[in-house]
Amino acid sequence: MSTTFLPCGDYHENYKQDHAWWQTKFIKLKMILLFAVLFVGIPLCADSYWLSVCNLVGYTVLGALGVQLLIGFCGQLTLGHAAFIAVGAYTSTLLVLEFPWPKFLLDLGLAYPVSIIVAAIAAGMWSVLFGLPSAKVKGFYLILTTMAAQFITVDFVITQYVSQIGGRGQAFSLPPGTIKVGPWIIDSNLKVYLMMLALVILCVAIITNLLRSRVGRAWIAIRDNDISAEVMGINVVKYKLFAFFVAGFIGGIAGAFWISNLAAISPEHFPWFWSLWLVGVILIGGAGSIHGAIFGSVFMVVVMELLQLAVIPLADTYPKLLMDFLFIKEAAFGLAICIFLIFEPNGLAYRWWQVKNYFNLWPFSY
Amino acid sequence: MQALAKSDQHGKDDILLELDDVYMFFGRVGALAGISLKVKRGHIHSIIGPNGAGKTVMMNCINGLYHPQKGNIYFKGEDIGKLKPYRRAKLGIARTFQKVEVFGGMTVLDNIRLGRHVHLKSGIVGGALYVGKTAREEIEHREFIEQEIIDLLEIEYIRDKPVGMLPYGLQKRVELGRALALRPELLILDEPLAGLNLEEVEDMARFILDVNEEKRWKVTCILVEHDMGVVMDLSDRVFVLNFGNKIIDGTPEEVQSNPEVIKAYLGEEDMYATRR
Repeated sequence: MSTTFLPCGDYHENYKQDHAWWQTKFIKLKMILLFAVLFVGIPLCADSYWLSVCNLVGYTVLGALGVQLLIGFCGQLTLGHAAFIAVGAYTSTLLVLEFPWPKFLLDLGLAYPVSIIVAAIAAGMWSVLFGLPSAKVKGFYLILTTMAAQFITVDFVITQYVSQIGGRGQAFSLPPGTIKVGPWIIDSNLKVYLMMLALVILCVAIITNLLRSRVGRAWIAIRDNDISAEVMGINVVKYKLFAFFVAGFIGGIAGAFWISNLAAISPEHFPWFWSLWLVGVILIGGAGSIHGAIFGSVFMVVVMELLQLAVIPLADTYPKLLMDFLFIKEAAFGLAICIFLIFEPNGLAYRWWQVKNYFNLWPFSY
Repeated sequence: MQALAKSDQHGKDDILLELDDVYMFFGRVGALAGISLKVKRGHIHSIIGPNGAGKTVMMNCINGLYHPQKGNIYFKGEDIGKLKPYRRAKLGIARTFQKVEVFGGMTVLDNIRLGRHVHLKSGIVGGALYVGKTAREEIEHREFIEQEIIDLLEIEYIRDKPVGMLPYGLQKRVELGRALALRPELLILDEPLAGLNLEEVEDMARFILDVNEEKRWKVTCILVEHDMGVVMDLSDRVFVLNFGNKIIDGTPEEVQSNPEVIKAYLGEEDMYATRR
């Protein structure tokens, strides 16, 4: 699943071409088109509501990328990723609200961008801490130790202690104007959307690059066969912790990004169910593929929104539907995963790969 | 005779690997009971013995998957008995496995690239940026892989295929390629010929001789194998193991004429119990 076939008649003449990101003119054109749609098309066409849906997609992608890295590429099952997103969100919030920033940084609007980087690193370190059991524990047992991360971080540390900072006790409110990137105050869905695009592209680039270099290959080797990975000279524990760090780092970026979209943050934004949701997203999108994280996020968020749109007109006749929407959402989530595991176990990304190869090889089937 | 000619060719007769009185127990079962072995640089040193004799345990001790309870292991004069497998790989010990242990989800090329792991230098930051040094390094090593390994093993046509989808014989070949990518000084081959057809056996034997004899490689090999014809043809020395005990360590001629070997391992049957 890792490589696509080149179209008939396209050949590489040196290794540089073979290692390139976009290898043919057609792909370059396609990517330019995609960027045009993302940066120009959607902001022009979509209204504020659909932009907020896009932002939710982006947030899910950022979260799912870390889970994809751990589960799909490094084989470390995790069910506590929301904890690291929470660490990122809280670090960034506290820095923006409480940290005595020098005046010039505030004037330049660098406080929030710097806080994103610090939050990412803090979440990465926190993730490494809970990745330590992976040195000894494998497979299903690791699920429990990562779940511990969720409960210790969100339900204990953040709820009991971090929330007390400044005497608030429950939520941190983010007054309008606190989130400022350079000269722009992030106050509309459009601005959040553009920031989301930049961060998603950055994170996808980081992970793609890592996966085609030494570190990423070591991760995949650990997933496929950890004993022979160690025999081939890979320090398995070190690379597992690297994976936890990068996953936490991206989770931290996700959390720090998401506060730009919120008026206040509280521990309820990062429930255990969100960790589970992210795992569901990559199962539907396809484990072991970056496309998978993106397709899965788009699919899940859009399906849930459509479901909501479908429920609203029905609410006149069945008022209980709206009240119980949360349960409907969870049931739909479960159903979607069941259907995908049975009928499309390799996820949406595999189907996409097949379609792409079909057209690359056309008119022949081989 | 053959062994003599070879040691002259290599010039010096230094010891690359030495096992000194190694004991390995699993509970009360003695898998290795005081094994001593000296492997000379440039040799193909075969280990033979009936099933359950402890051959694979011995290989696992050499490359660090098991740590023997007693005894020392020296590689290039250095005590490596306490080192983890990945540290030993850095020193230049590579191996293949009895049951192929390739990375099924990666392509052939990526499997072999992974073998270059200890020679590559880029870390997390370099990898994430993938500019300058990292990109150059990848291309340099790609050239090495294509010219030296893929060409040698004749696997050009499958380089972009996921290894998990390949037939068994090719997986074994990819595994050998991955081990060679490490540029090892000592290559442990654990039953490289098991489950291959005659043509594949001949190919594999040719590859083993190539990497052992070609100037560019000069890899010392430890060969664990049941195919007596191949063992006797390729080896400089043969070590016979039975229930954790050494029976004899000598040239193929000595081993073939040793009555104890014939009794313990080969039974009353024909000496050349091979498929040929």
